[in-house]
Amino acid sequence: MKAFKSMLRTELKLSLRGMDMFLFAICAPLVTLVILGITCGNQPASTGAEHTFLEQSFGALASISICAGGVMGLPLVVSDYRGRGILKRYRVTPVSPSLILAVQVAVYTLYALLSLLSLYLAAAGLFGYRFRGSPLRFLCGYLLVMGSMFSIGMMVGGLAPNTKMAGVIASALYFPMLLFSGATLPYEGMPSALQKVADILPLTQGIKLLKAASLNAPAGSALVPMAIMLAIAAICICVSLQFFRWE
Amino acid sequence: MQEAIKVKGLAKSYGKLLALENINLSVKGGTALGLLGANGAGKSTAVECILGTKRADRGRVSILGMDPHRDRKRLFERVGVQFQEGRCQEGITVGELCALTASLYQKPADPADLLAQFGLGGRQKSPVKELSGGQRQRLFVVLALLPNPEVVFLDELTTGLDTEARRGVWAALSERKKKGLTIFLTSHFMDEVEALCDQICILKRGRTVFCGTAADAVAGSPCDTLEDAYLWYTSEGRDSRESV
Repeated sequence: MKAFKSMLRTELKLSLRGMDMFLFAICAPLVTLVILGITCGNQPASTGAEHTFLEQSFGALASISICAGGVMGLPLVVSDYRGRGILKRYRVTPVSPSLILAVQVAVYTLYALLSLLSLYLAAAGLFGYRFRGSPLRFLCGYLLVMGSMFSIGMMVGGLAPNTKMAGVIASALYFPMLLFSGATLPYEGMPSALQKVADILPLTQGIKLLKAASLNAPAGSALVPMAIMLAIAAICICVSLQFFRWE
Repeated sequence: MQEAIKVKGLAKSYGKLLALENINLSVKGGTALGLLGANGAGKSTAVECILGTKRADRGRVSILGMDPHRDRKRLFERVGVQFQEGRCQEGITVGELCALTASLYQKPADPADLLAQFGLGGRQKSPVKELSGGQRQRLFVVLALLPNPEVVFLDELTTGLDTEARRGVWAALSERKKKGLTIFLTSHFMDEVEALCDQICILKRGRTVFCGTAADAVAGSPCDTLEDAYLWYTSEGRDSRESV
């Protein structure tokens, strides 16, 4: 526990010093929220819909930070530490791989929670947003999305042969998910062919889950996304721990 | 005294390149062994195969009676390591790196004391990347000593240090050796090996060409100094002379 706390403290400081995650995981979702809020926030989500556009988008916006931390931040930091020989140095100490990974997951979890909080405060304060659903259900969904996205990141960081490759894979996951899963561009506005493609992305499923929870939609429609998210998380965590490489 | 490090029949090759062949070493507790050899002779590979960061093709290693692969977590609670290339996180400061490293051990030494002893007392707030080569080198020796180890591995510990700093590092290590620390080091400096080591082992292209005390090394050669003897043991002509 002492090692976890000390590592978490140091890694948080280093991450904040780097600034990039603050921009991608905290500022980017806020900026997107403000733009959406100003342009079409309080219009109905579709003709005759009961909820506003912003209410429909809140779950998606909240997932931007998870996406940035999970598939960009996590794999890059793990592969960077391997490339620099930091993991090799850890290997000749009593620390375990799972502790090293858990610390990084904790760092990005904090970013995600901070992003969620700042988004809620901004949406409520600036655009009169009201959360209609069950906070508990939303939070469970949020943790599930986090679990699956972070486990993808851990797996990429663990398996990528070098930092450059990790960067390429991270970008190949990050940008399509950010654009097509509904995190930034609204899923509902996509042509149905594109929606079908987007459905393959795990984040699309996650956003559906968050959307249903925040709009208080029936839980039945969330079962498939939930099963997919859980399966992804389980597989990726097993793979990343099984194939963890120090060098 | 008990054997702290025992290596038997260690062998490693990279593809067709033979890096180590049948290395046998034994280091008693509270003594120091110096591994000598030219660049590429296999010193770092030997250290890494002993520590378990590289998989040996053959051979058995035991440190403090433990297997570095099987007992990794238990073993490295009691063993400190300084690798040739000291690397750390981008932007981390000396104090942060020391605190982080100390937190990994159950009963670590006080980082501030060690930093002061190695002449880095005032550098706690400096980013590691702003240190000079010699300061950086000393920092990684400090990190290796943080666990209060019983055995320490030092790969080229004073490369890049000035004369005064080298003497300081030797004195600090000798003092710890007297208290029972076992030291395994690699070096290019004969004066360092003579000052610190009870035993030397000379590697040449992955094979041991001499193992024993520095005095024996000189006595077993036609030379008067350890440096000349070392060059004699590792000279290219010697193989052909032997095989004639």
